[in-house]
Amino acid sequence: MKKLILYAVVGGIAFVIGYFVNDQFFSDRAPVQPINFSHKIHAGDNQIPCQYCHIYAERSRVSGVPNVKRCMGCHQIIKTDSPEIQKVASYWDKKEPIPWVKVYNLPDHVYFPHKRHVRAGVDCKNCHGDVASMARIEKVSSLQMGWCLSCHTKREVKNGHDCWTCHK
Amino acid sequence: MSGLLERIAGKLRSYREPGYYTKLDHKWTMVIDLDKCNGCEACVVACYAENNLPVVGREECEKSRAFSWLRIERYVEGEYPDVKVKFIPVMCQHCMKAPCETGCPVYATYHNQDGLNVQVYNRCVGTFTCATYCTYDVRRFNWFTYKWPKPLEAQLNPDVSVREMGVMEKCTFCIQRIRSAKDTAKDESRPVKDGDIKPACSQSCPTGAIYFGDIQDPESVVAKLAKSPRRYRLLEELNADPSVIYLKRVMGDGTSSHE
Repeated sequence: MKKLILYAVVGGIAFVIGYFVNDQFFSDRAPVQPINFSHKIHAGDNQIPCQYCHIYAERSRVSGVPNVKRCMGCHQIIKTDSPEIQKVASYWDKKEPIPWVKVYNLPDHVYFPHKRHVRAGVDCKNCHGDVASMARIEKVSSLQMGWCLSCHTKREVKNGHDCWTCHK
Repeated sequence: MSGLLERIAGKLRSYREPGYYTKLDHKWTMVIDLDKCNGCEACVVACYAENNLPVVGREECEKSRAFSWLRIERYVEGEYPDVKVKFIPVMCQHCMKAPCETGCPVYATYHNQDGLNVQVYNRCVGTFTCATYCTYDVRRFNWFTYKWPKPLEAQLNPDVSVREMGVMEKCTFCIQRIRSAKDTAKDESRPVKDGDIKPACSQSCPTGAIYFGDIQDPESVVAKLAKSPRRYRLLEELNADPSVIYLKRVMGDGTSSHE
């Protein structure tokens, strides 16, 4: 009996640790990025608007991951002694893109234009959450069809319930 | 609970009642001038490229698993020096009273507010009913998950999904182009103009035999062409009310192709 309780306790602890490790380092919800980039510092503390870096959000289907040049535009001068910034600089010297891990991944059969949503006045926060307080970017919405449709219903989007508005 | 189910079922059923969309946003129509068609099949090639259609090869075609959404039907009359050849490009006719829509058990094919008969790939379970009901034999079934050999997958159109095994598909009137034209029009805050949208077949046709537009707009090219005395529609007597209008080919001896 005592042995059983011991197993249960050890198993429970292992489960909790495993869950925590998985959630922190291996989950799709908040994957570890190649550079420890903090949206909290950029968008939160320094109040840089989203579209300063994600420039395509207003005029294209994708919002766009900023290129290394955009990072280096500021970081040639700012905080050049930080080890994380030196990683960016090394990518810049190698002329390689930074292999960011995509967090908000939509399946291939979905047609989602950022442009339409930004121009309709949907705030970035509606889907991406309070990015300005996230040290590491984290997926806050399910990106499932019901979640899309709940907003389309609420905002009374024209033809917002037609399958071929979003599916392709 | 049963009340809710009944309401949902009633809502779904109402899609099938005639005149569900009493007023359509647009009614996309294609006019094909058979007098201009010389059967070069450029439209077929363009359709393959635009819509990510797999090339299945001769063996599969012999099992009637050909994959062209758009085909050219050839009718040859007479013996050699005195031959009459007639071509008819046949694609999904986007019937307003489509027989295929009545058959689908999962509502994967339905009419949308643009007057298009659309197929939802995610919903399709592949019962083949729609293809059986189709009068024009234009629906194509994915018998396999087709793969593109290595360098060719780079030419797939990102605006069109690549379908998988067990899904029925057909001509969409290049709905991705309709969507992008609507998108541009919305950015410029104007309605979609006539001539904004050109499906791949129409764009590639060297003689310009395929016209596309909104027949609800009386000023559009298709609305004017649709009044032509040469107008006819395929198997009109079946009363499926197709959206593709053909203009008869008038032969040298005064007979027309639709005879």
